[in-house]
Formats: sequence, C-alpha cells, structure tokens
Amino acid sequence: MKTIAIEAFLAAGVLTALLSVLGMARMRDPYQQMHYISPPASLSAICITVAIFLQQGMKPESFKAVLITLLLIAMNTIVTHEAARGFRIAEVEDWSPKKGEEVPLKASDELVRQEPGS
Amino acid sequence: MNIWELAAQVMIFALVPLTWMAIRGDARHRLVAFFMAGVVITLLMMLLTMAFNRIPMMDLAIALALMSFGGGIVFARFFARHLR
Repeated sequence: MKTIAIEAFLAAGVLTALLSVLGMARMRDPYQQMHYISPPASLSAICITVAIFLQQGMKPESFKAVLITLLLIAMNTIVTHEAARGFRIAEVEDWSPKKGEEVPLKASDELVRQEPGS
Repeated sequence: MNIWELAAQVMIFALVPLTWMAIRGDARHRLVAFFMAGVVITLLMMLLTMAFNRIPMMDLAIALALMSFGGGIVFARFFARHLR
C-alpha cells in the first residue's frame, strides 16, 4: 500500500511538471508562460516531498525536502513578479498603468480603463 | 531500476522543450525557460538523491534552489535596466 502511494505521488509530481513545461512551450507571450512555472514549483515539489516522507519517514532528508519545497514556493513568487516587472519596464519605462491603458484590475479579469487624473 | 530512477528519467524529458525555447525564443522567452529549468532541475536532483540513495546530495538541491533565486533576480533587474 505504501509503495503504491509513493508511486502515485511521484507520478503526479512528474506528470504535473511535464504538462506544465508543454503548456509553457505552447504559449507565445512570456507573461502567459510565467504562469506555468507555479505548478512544478508547488504541486510537483509537494508531491515529491510527500513521496520522500513516505519512503524515508522522519529523517533529515525528509525535512530537507520540505525546506526545498518552501524555498521553491516562496522564491518562485518573488522571481516571477520581478521578471514580469522587468519585462514591463523594458517595454514602457514605467511599469504602472498609463492613463487610458486598459488593464485587468478586477478579479473577473474585466478590462478597466484608467481615467486621466485617477 | 527503482521508481525514483524511472521518475528522474521521465523528468529529464521536461528539459527538452525548455532547451528548444532557449534556442529559438527571444531574450524574454529564454529568461522564462531559465526560471523553469531551475525548478525542474531542483526537482530532478531530489529524485536522483533518492534514486541513488546518496542523501547528502539533497544539499545540492537546496543550494540550487537558492542560487536560481538569486540568479533570477539579477537577470530580471538586468533585463529592466539594460534591455530596453
């Protein structure tokens, strides 16, 4: 039973990473591509860490795997934001929305026009 | 071959599209591929550590996760300042 659980978690982790890479390759816009970094950095890392815990139990390597997962989750967020900001600055000098530019500000992804003076 | 080796061997194929993106894309695509490769190789090192039962190698995965974070921040800053 434990072996099957380890195999299932490993399969889930590896498949998530593979599908994310293929999805990333399908996207043309780098802003869209960056969304695909999250699943391997979170879901795959968690699945592999759970598999290591099941295999090894409460050993130092298991806690090192937890540390790696936490590092990947926390740092992926920061690096992705920083890269998107860098791309934006490289395009338009200032990364904040310009007056009259339509940007998705609401959760519904509805485009909101920035009124002059707002 | 144990299940960890099999998982590592399958995971290596995730690097093929990333290599293709790094070769064919512009600077932005290459940077995104670099970020993704850092994550994939970190996971790969975790799998290889378990596959070969060389537990101290887990420290390399920790070091790689930390270094790819630093490298990513530096590249993103460089991109914003110099690639306009």
